[in-house]
Parts: sequence; C-alpha cells; structure tokens
Amino acid sequence: MSPAAPAAARPPFASLKRLPEFLVIWVPLLISAGHVVTFALWTTWMSFTPSTLVPADGFVGLRNYNAVLATRNWKIAFDNLLLFGSGFVVLSLSAGLILAILLDQRIRGENVLRSIFLYPLAVSFVVTGTVWSWLLNPGIGIQKLVNDLGWTSFRFDWLIDRDMAIWTIVITAVWQSCGFAMALFLAGLRSVDGDLVKAAQIDGTGPVRIYRRVILPTLWPITITVAVIQLQFAITTFDLVRALTGGGPGIATQLPALVVYDFMFQRGNLGRGAAAAVLMLLVLLAVLLPHWTWRAIQNRRAARG
Amino acid sequence: MSNISRRAAMAGTAAALAAPGALRAQVKPRLTAISQWSAGSDGAAITALGKKFEERGGVWQHSPVPGFTTDMMNKLRAQIMAGDPPSCSQLKGPEIAAWSKIAPTVNLDATVAAAGYEKVVAPDLAKLHKPGGKWAALPLQVYRTNTLFVSKRALDRAKADKLPTTWAEFNALAEKMKSAGMAYPVSNGGSRADDGQKFEACLAGISPTAYRAACMNLDEKALKGPEMKAAFTQLRKLADWMDPNTAAQSYAIHLPKFVAGEMGMMIQGGWAQGVLLNAGFKLDDFIIAPGPSDNAKPVFILNADAFIFWQRKEADLQAGQKLMAELVMDPAIQTMYSQITGSIPVRTDVDLSGAGWSDGQREAARTLKEAVAINQVVLSLAHNMAQENGMTAAMIDVITEYVKNRSITPDQAVARLSEAVEGAR
Amino acid sequence: MADTSINIRRIIVYGIVWVVAAAWLFPLVVVILNSLRTAEEIAQTSMIGWPRVWAWGNYTQAWDTYCIAQTCSGIRPYMLNSALVTIPATLISTLLGAVAGYAVSLWRFRGDSWIYGIVTIGIFLPQQMRLLPWTLVLRDLGLTNTLAGLVMIHTIQGMSFTTLFCRNYYVSIPADLMKAAKIDGAGFFRIFWRIVLPLSPPILIVTVIWQFTHIWNEFLYGVTFTTGTQQPVTAALIALATSVADVPQHGIQSAAVVVAALPTLLVYLFGGRYFVRGLTAGAVK
Repeated sequence: MSPAAPAAARPPFASLKRLPEFLVIWVPLLISAGHVVTFALWTTWMSFTPSTLVPADGFVGLRNYNAVLATRNWKIAFDNLLLFGSGFVVLSLSAGLILAILLDQRIRGENVLRSIFLYPLAVSFVVTGTVWSWLLNPGIGIQKLVNDLGWTSFRFDWLIDRDMAIWTIVITAVWQSCGFAMALFLAGLRSVDGDLVKAAQIDGTGPVRIYRRVILPTLWPITITVAVIQLQFAITTFDLVRALTGGGPGIATQLPALVVYDFMFQRGNLGRGAAAAVLMLLVLLAVLLPHWTWRAIQNRRAARG
Repeated sequence: MSNISRRAAMAGTAAALAAPGALRAQVKPRLTAISQWSAGSDGAAITALGKKFEERGGVWQHSPVPGFTTDMMNKLRAQIMAGDPPSCSQLKGPEIAAWSKIAPTVNLDATVAAAGYEKVVAPDLAKLHKPGGKWAALPLQVYRTNTLFVSKRALDRAKADKLPTTWAEFNALAEKMKSAGMAYPVSNGGSRADDGQKFEACLAGISPTAYRAACMNLDEKALKGPEMKAAFTQLRKLADWMDPNTAAQSYAIHLPKFVAGEMGMMIQGGWAQGVLLNAGFKLDDFIIAPGPSDNAKPVFILNADAFIFWQRKEADLQAGQKLMAELVMDPAIQTMYSQITGSIPVRTDVDLSGAGWSDGQREAARTLKEAVAINQVVLSLAHNMAQENGMTAAMIDVITEYVKNRSITPDQAVARLSEAVEGAR
Repeated sequence: MADTSINIRRIIVYGIVWVVAAAWLFPLVVVILNSLRTAEEIAQTSMIGWPRVWAWGNYTQAWDTYCIAQTCSGIRPYMLNSALVTIPATLISTLLGAVAGYAVSLWRFRGDSWIYGIVTIGIFLPQQMRLLPWTLVLRDLGLTNTLAGLVMIHTIQGMSFTTLFCRNYYVSIPADLMKAAKIDGAGFFRIFWRIVLPLSPPILIVTVIWQFTHIWNEFLYGVTFTTGTQQPVTAALIALATSVADVPQHGIQSAAVVVAALPTLLVYLFGGRYFVRGLTAGAVK
C-alpha cells in the first residue's frame, strides 16, 4: 500500500489547495520527460526524411537505414562496439573488483589510494583522450621513453596498429572509469553482513573461500548495475575516441557514436545520421530491456517476500 | 524552415530596396563573421583584415570557432536554424551551393561587377561561388595542395641537386634519400585530409584528365580506369616512405625533423610555408616546387578559402557586407592576406615581384596562370573543393584505410572507391 | 610461521595496490611535468621527461596572456564562463531532482513510475541526438548564444541523473516516518523540509559532484551554443589542442589542462569519501 492515496481520488477543493505542490512535482518532471520523448521521436522521424544539412519534410522509407547499414564505417563501428563493449566491461569490472578487494584488506592510506583510483572520473574525456594519445604515440610517448632508456627493440605501437588500436581505447576507458566500479564494489563489500563472515571463519573456512562462497555472491546486484552503467558508457563513447584516435588509423576505430556524428554534422546528411542514431538506440535497448525486466522481477519478488 | 527562409528573404530584399546608398552612408558598417581561423598565421591574417575593416570605419565582430571544422559548421547550422546567421562565414567549394539552398544569401553581383572581379578569377573557381549563376560568396585566397617541399639539408645529404618533376624522378630521389640514411624520406601528417591530399597529388600528377573525370565528375568508367590503379600504386610507395608513428597528428610535428634533413620531402599545401616561417625556420631551409606531373606540364590542384554572405535585414550589417566584399576583392588586401598565410592571391593580376613574396609563392602564382591556360587546374578532393562533404568523406574513407592498411591491394582500393561513390550518391 | 605468511601477503597486497596507483597517477604526473617544460624541450625529447628548466611561465601564460581564438587573455575568461554555467545548473538540477525524487518515491501518485521511467531513459540518449533539437528549442525560447541557454540545457538533461539518484536514496526512508508526519498534519513541503532534506546530505553530495564534473567537462553544447569569449573552458582546451596551423605548444597546453581540471579534481579530492558512501546509499539500489 502506498503511503499517500492517489491524488485523483481527493475532492476537487483539496486539489486546488495542493496546487503549488502539483506544480512543483509535475512541471519539472513533465519538462524533463517531455524532452526525452520529443527528442527521441524527432530523431526517429528525421531518420525517415530526406534531410541533409538541415531538417526537411518528406518520407523516404528505409532508404537512410539501408544506406547506413551498407557502409563499411557502420560495419566496422558495430564490430568494434562488440569488441570494445565486452572488453571494456569485463576488464573494468574485474579491475574494479580486484582493487576493491585489495583496498578492503584494511590497509593504510586507503583514503589516498581511493582518491587516486577515482580522480580520472573528474577529468573530461577530451583531456583524457589527448593525454593518452601522447603517451600511446610510439614516436613521442612510452615507447620513445623506453627506447631512449636503452631498450631499443621495445615496441608499444598499438595506437598506429589498426588491429590493436581499439585496445588503446579499452585501456584508456578502463583507466578512466574503473574507479567508479571500484567505489561501488568497495561499498558493497563494506555492507556485507559481518556475522556471516565471522560464522564462516569459525567454521575454519579460508579467506579465498570466504570471498568466493560468502562475500562475492552478495555483490551480484551491484555487478549487474555497474555492468549496465559501463555498457551504456561504452555504447555512447564519443569524445574519448575523437581525441584519442579520431577513428583511425584509417577507419579502424570507428564507433557508432562517431558514425552518427559524422553523418549528421561532417557529411551533412541528417537523415542518415538520425538513422544511425536510432540503430544505436536499438542496441542500447537490447542491453537495457533485459536489465529492466530482471529488475522488475526482482522488485516483485521483494514486494512479495 | 522554408517558410521562415522565404519571409526572411522577402524582408531582406525589401530592406535592400528601401535602403539605397544615401541611407547606408549614415550607418556605421558592422560585420558579424565566424570562421575557424583562430590561431597561427590564419589567425594573424584575419585579424589584419579586421584592422583594415576598422580603418574604413567599420565595426569588426569576428568569432573564431576553435576546434574541428565540424564544430564551426554546427555553429553555423545552429545560427541559421535560429534565424540569426552571421553576416558572413567561412565556407568553401561545393558546400557553398549546398548551404545557399537552406538560407538566403546576399546577391553580390553588383559589387563584383563594380570591382571588375570576374575577369581576374580562374573560371572553375568562380563557378563554385556563383550558385544559381549569382555571386553569393567570394574566394579569399588560393592554395596549391600539390606543392612539393624539399628539405635543403636532406637534398645535400642525398647528394642530389635536381628537383623531381615526375613521379619516377620523385621515387628515385626518395630511394636516394633512403640509402643516404634517412628512415623516412617523406614527411607526413596522419590526418584524413593528409592522406587524401597525397592521393590527389598522385592521381593528378599521373593524369589531370583522369582526375577531373573521376574525382570531380565522378565518372563511373574513369573511377575504374587504369590511372586510378596507378595512383593507388604510387600512393602505396609514398605510404611506405612515411613515418608510421604519426597516428592522427598534424604534419606540423615533423617540421623540425624535416628542416634538419632527417625527413626529405613533403607534399603539402602552400600553407606549410607560413607554418614553417611561424615556427622560426628560414626560407632557405627548404625549397618549394610544383608537385610531380608525369606529362611534364604544370598541374595545379586548387584549394581556395572563401566567405559566404548571409542575408540580414539590419542596415549596418548590410553596409558591413558591402564593405567586406570590397575589401576581400581588393588586390592590396589580398596581397596583405596572402603574404601572412603563404597562399597566393585569388586575383590572377596581382604582381608578385615585390618584396614580401617568396619564390615559392611566385612560382605557384605563375603555375596557376599557366595551368589555367592549358586546362590543368583541378579542384582539391581532400580539401572539400571537388565534392560535397558527404561524398568527399566517403571517398577519403577508402583512401585513408588504404594508406594505413598495407594488405589492401591497389585493385581492391579502386573497387572500394567506386563502391563508396555509389553508396554516397 | 603464520606471522610471516600474513606479512608476505600484506606486502604483496601493498605492492600491487601501489604499483597500480602509480600507473593511475602516471598520466597526471606527465601532464604536470609537461606543464613545467618549454615547448622546445618537449619537441626535442619526448612527451615524457623531467623538466631541464622549470618553465613556470607556462602557467602565467596559460592563465591570462596566451592567445586563444584571437583573444589574448588565456583561459581565465573561459574558466569564469564555465563557473557561470556549471554552478547554477548544478544547484538547480540537484534541487529539482531532489524534489522530483522525493515526490516519486514518497508521494506515490498516478503515473509516477511511468514518468520516472521516461525521465531516467534520458540518461541513455546519446548527446549527438540532442544537439539539433536543442538548437530548435533555444531558437524558440530566444536563448541562442547565451549562458542561460546552456544552464537550461544542463538543468533539464541533468534532471535524469539527479532524479534517479535521489529517488533511489529516498525509497529507503522508512514509511513509518512519513506516516507519523502525515498524522501530525505535515504537508508535502513541510515533510520535505523537515524530514527528507536533513536526511539527504550523502546523496546530495553525490549528485552535486556528478553534475558538477559532467557539466564542467561538457564540450559539444558549449562550443555550438555560445560565441567567442562566452565559451566554456573545454572549448578553449580544444582550441589549444587543435590549432593545427601552429607548431604545438605542449607546455602551455598542459598548463591549461591542469588549471582547467583543477576545480573538478578538487571536488573529487574533498568529496571522494562522501561520493563512495552516498553512491552505495543511492545509485546501487
């Protein structure tokens, strides 16, 4: 039973008295929800029009979709998304979890360490991309440093290697955001019921086993949340790639968000850009719908139990 | 959108009719301009132009949009959609015609005729600035994108004294430099435009006729012709001589090595001269020559910057546009501008013999005149002069992928290029 | 015996953690060192190196004399613009998100889960998709080229995050507390003010940190919807990074990066502890 009765069931004079609170509740919510709905619908509508430089009327069916799906850019971007998305999520989750477990060993300087792992979150992607493009550039970055120090055969040239370049984006993205995963996992570890752990310890269970059997299972919901947030980040990644590789070498590190931007604003074809954006949203929905369903089931279970 | 445009167009025309010279003279001319020229010699040149504008009693309001070209286009689009376009903005090539369809532009015919400008501009170039037969934009400066820069010290190191004029000679010299110990005889940048520029230099150097048919007219047969394969083969040679560590950086990062003779040759636009001088190098550190041409006659791949003028109702803005147009066409202003940036004037009647011009600029201006006469002037693909941005980007995709991926054969590249053209049509 | 094995284990733990921390700090150290090296020195050696001459002048130049986009006043005016957009937008969106989250979680009404769901979908709308619609909205409201326009955009978009955070936090406020307050005759605003707000600091800190860093670091809208010296600091950084017509000034660029990142870094440094704490309470649920 919800704490307040539905508003509509109240007599009208009460509603009038409650006008200020209705305004405060509904106006911001409606504006915010309105912008989401109209922007998404507007883009979907654009994807069916012959718009080029500016929005235009007309209907061209699926022509824009076919054109986008036929380009090498989109194919490469989509393959990259699968690679980058899975690589990034797995690496940042595992790195975040390991760091959280290590920090949870009651070590000295935890505050400092936590700040160190979190600070990349504070920096803009443009800066991250630029700085990492210096470090990863074999001519001026890490490779040059190591070569100059004497190890002349050392090679670290993923940035210019079209097969490995996508991994430079993975590295940078993990660096930037695994602190977030660490923070959530750390918080999760801290909220594990101490009695459970103690009971296991009394039973003589070793620390590794305690983590595997008792603690980690309780982190499951956090893991799902972090994974979804990171996936969403992976799918919409834009500034980082633009500053780090610019989609290169060649077109080897294209990602859907870059293709959308490219069609809309570089190639002057709003219709195709909008079609690419809708395709991107569909990919997002493919990730989100299972998550939402899962959460709805969880909530219903919680409500029943 | 179209309703608003029409209304604005009518208002603009009405204002133009209602405000003859007498009334204009009373207002102080004002110009709102956007461009991406925010730094270096480009920035210095436009600032100098602004000073001249102010000297003539105008109010100069230039907003440089830093960053990528797309950021400037986004800004222009946003302002046009908001019904508040700048009174003039940087725009070039076929995009002038495309953008002039979405918002009304100023008809500059009278001002251009009064200046007698049409006679002194290369016809191919003039056409780009006259969408629908009316002048709506004015070219400001011209660059040759297939300019060959040779490092003096590298030339000495290779013990060579003759500059290459054909691709065969170019290749021979590059080999010579390589055996003299230069790891990368060709100095390069890693951007998309850089890759495209090298391709167009190859193709136009091999056959300007094939370039015109394939890259400018998108002729299906020409796109699959033997010259295309030859151009991709030559491009592969260039790619093998370039420093692969460049990633997506600007060619400017290699300039110190180029001058020091650790890199030998550079195919760049004339703007590289301004950048070299700005970086503190001297004119005798490098030699400027026309890019290789296999038919031994000069080939000029043309790139021009221009301003498009958007219709405004305000009398002061209209007066400002007229003043700006007059300034842009003025030979003295073009001289000032080109001397700062390293370009050459749009006007073919400017005398470049005086001080302030480099031998390279004189040579480029002379080549332009000669190439116009024998119809060997072509428009640059890499710098968005030959095609609209969508087509250009689709073609450069193929070229840049080819440069960075050794496993693509010239035959595959030719096939992919014509596919990409079909897809973007 | 057991003691040494525990000691070894602890040494390994400390070892791993500090090695990773060093790797994490590496880019920051490189930027700070570069901000103190001259452009010539960087060009001659590499991006990574110890300054031979300490070029403190990079900072004074980056702060108020270096020419960015034809205005020779360094990044100082851009920093001010960023502050003028970020601070109001952060505060307003946090406040609105708190009220909305409170309404959605504690005053259930018809359609609440629907509207809440739609608002939070906003998190997932890609930025490129919103650029043109915002252009039209700003035109119709006459807010093109104003900082107020940017504040509005960031407030409305930010509500998706702030509402999500606050709602997830407020659902854990016990229903009994609400019931008791209502029996006492307290209304919507009174309960918010007296009960909910005093419980809110942990989540409000998270929300403020989140909004502040996101808005401060935003680039696309900043450069599109403002002009010249009205632009935020990210636009100035891009201008420094992409001035292709110049031989790169990595020293000054690095100094500008450090200064521009300082506000958000400080926010994380001082708020980091609360961030982790509040995040657990809010976003994980």
